[in-house]
Amino acid sequence: MKISKLLAAVFALMLILAACSSDDDAGDTATTEEAGGDGGGDDGGSTGGKLAAVQEAGKIVCGVNDGLPGFGVVDADGTYAGFDVDFCRAVAAGILGDSEAVEYKPLTADVRFTALQSGDIDVLIRNTTWTATRDGQEGAQFLYTTFYDGQGMMVPASTGFTTLEDLADANICVLSGTTTELNLTSVFGARGIPFTGVVFEDNAQLQPAYEAGQCQGWTSDASQLAAFKSSIEGAGGDEQFIMAEIISKEPLGPVVSDGDTEWAQAVEWSVMATVQAWEFGLDSGNIGSYSGDNPNILNFIGSDNFDPGLGLPSDFAVQVVTQVGNYKEIFDAHIPAIGLSLEGSPNNIWTEGGLMYVPPYR
Amino acid sequence: MTTETKEPQRGEVARPPFYRDVRVIRVVGQVLAVLVVIGILYWLVNNLITNMNRLGISTSFDFLFGPTNTAIPFCDNCWVIPYQFRFDPRSPVWHMVIVGIKNTFLAAFFGVILATIVGLLIGISRLSDNWLIARLATVYVEFFRNIPPLVIIIFFGAAVFTNGPFPIFSESWEIKVPGTTNNLLIISNDKWGIPGFTQLSDLVVFFIVIAIGLIGAIWIWRRRTKNFDRTGQPHHRVLWSMGVLLVALVAAYFISGQPFEMSWPAISENRRRIDGGFIANWGWISVTVALGLYTASHIGEIIRGSILAVPHGQSEAANAVALSAGQRYRYVVLPQAMRIALPPTINQYLNLVKNTSLGTAVGYAEITALTKTSVGNGRPAFQSFIIVMGVYLVFSLTISLILNVVNRRMQLVAR
Repeated sequence: MKISKLLAAVFALMLILAACSSDDDAGDTATTEEAGGDGGGDDGGSTGGKLAAVQEAGKIVCGVNDGLPGFGVVDADGTYAGFDVDFCRAVAAGILGDSEAVEYKPLTADVRFTALQSGDIDVLIRNTTWTATRDGQEGAQFLYTTFYDGQGMMVPASTGFTTLEDLADANICVLSGTTTELNLTSVFGARGIPFTGVVFEDNAQLQPAYEAGQCQGWTSDASQLAAFKSSIEGAGGDEQFIMAEIISKEPLGPVVSDGDTEWAQAVEWSVMATVQAWEFGLDSGNIGSYSGDNPNILNFIGSDNFDPGLGLPSDFAVQVVTQVGNYKEIFDAHIPAIGLSLEGSPNNIWTEGGLMYVPPYR
Repeated sequence: MTTETKEPQRGEVARPPFYRDVRVIRVVGQVLAVLVVIGILYWLVNNLITNMNRLGISTSFDFLFGPTNTAIPFCDNCWVIPYQFRFDPRSPVWHMVIVGIKNTFLAAFFGVILATIVGLLIGISRLSDNWLIARLATVYVEFFRNIPPLVIIIFFGAAVFTNGPFPIFSESWEIKVPGTTNNLLIISNDKWGIPGFTQLSDLVVFFIVIAIGLIGAIWIWRRRTKNFDRTGQPHHRVLWSMGVLLVALVAAYFISGQPFEMSWPAISENRRRIDGGFIANWGWISVTVALGLYTASHIGEIIRGSILAVPHGQSEAANAVALSAGQRYRYVVLPQAMRIALPPTINQYLNLVKNTSLGTAVGYAEITALTKTSVGNGRPAFQSFIIVMGVYLVFSLTISLILNVVNRRMQLVAR
């Protein structure tokens, strides 16, 4: 399905309906502009062959967030950086051998799945929570969870609120089109706490409203709240408090379009290579010079041309880790800066009590 | 009488062969055009559905009957279809759609009223002989019509509410009705409370009496007009019909057993909620006022142009029969200007309705914003937006229809 066709269909429908009335000018609705504006080519549906198509195109189109500190932001000089962005780079390094062969598409929460379905993007790595409905109805396939998050609640420290019950009848700021909104409603509903959700489309509008006291609480993934807490306090704003209570599970990871197993495997193993490298104790500094004789590691770095048939180059893991880093390096580069640590979190490696556990590479 | 003659008989037209007959060509051409359009449409829709099926994406509208699962801002137990359903997160999705339509309507309706009033004032002011008034009106027009409405909405929301002069809700200003403890106005930076009505019992009888009153008002209007046409006595038809309506309103209130009462807004004990009254949230105020002011700049220009389009001779003629400036406008210039102004003004109203979809920028829960939320929560995007488009189409066509009827009547009068 191509989005341009979809829009064209809709536009044609509008025209026909409009033609039924004498004096209507439905022709100048926003739909027109959309139909005209997005005639750009895409690589078609996703019945298969995405891997070959990407290899031929020489780049991966990655849907990201461009306004979430720690996960995806645009620098002053226009380059993308962040935890999610690094996994885009890891996928490009694994599949194409070049971590810079990525075209970033910044997406808002409510268009991300449409972009994926239409083939506008090859992979979506944009703090997207894996849920049953999304898996079942969005034509999306969720891959290895790169970040285990949970929804929290932030309030100004001066209010002294410590539990959700303190927020009875309060306005609570939340982003539209996110699972956070669903969790908010169901948790508050289940506990019988009345509230008013104030819904914004992006954080650029939400944050000033929160700081002006239009909302008494701000709910989002705990990682995001930590990021905004540090940015508000860093800018000299009021001290913020994030409640200890986590009200939901939010596993975040890469998403691809349903129905192309080959492509999904290639993306997933590229991502998982970062964790495997961490488990092996390999990082961007030493993976190229590994001289041991652990057969698993030798397979992993492809030194004996080991090929499990994933459609990836045999040295893909080396490319991923040298160009981007292992999971811990990626985490350390972006996440501690927003106030979250690896120790004690579910994002630690399984050998140290975390949930980062990948199938063996053999 | 010979039949071989090629000369046409008198009164008889030579028929060209059918492929050159303009009547046949026209019909065939139109049929072909319709067939081509239907064919393209079928092809596109079929393509779409095939592709959606291939991707395993549902093409049905059943999701409308599943639970919404999210709360709607400022809509805790608000009405869905008047007084039949109340919205809560377990309500089906189509209730959410109705609430969205209601919110879109609220912004569009009051926006249109504001735009019309301000636009009329601006349009007339631009032609004022008073230098200051004319210049101020010009500045107003040039300012608003050269800025995209989205920017105006965001700026308005930020300047008036988010970073504006009003206090946070727990410290909101309460303006009392003098001598009582009732609040006339509650002002804060996220919601305002004004007096409203609470419904106490069924409104069917009430509306029936109002309807009767409306029929009566139309009847008296016609009667006064007829009387005026016959005798030339002043008709005062507006006064008369308004009087009838007012009487009907009062009568309806008592006949139906006082079905509603005044409700004063009050701040709840925990100072976070307004109880009673009518609650206006900042998103709605921002969208309505910003779009009203923006559209007013366009309507002002339409009014100005229309007044200028009335031939100068009309004003001179009015002067010649010694009409005052006010009378000249009221009886000669404006009635003719209105006829010219109406069609482009309809366009502005339609634009305003469509622009309410920008309300999501200030957190206003109109139909587009709610649909985006719903799509983000796993509801199918294509079907959801088909519904949204249908809603805007119905809104726009209704406005077009009503105003086209008005337009036709006004044009008939002028001949």
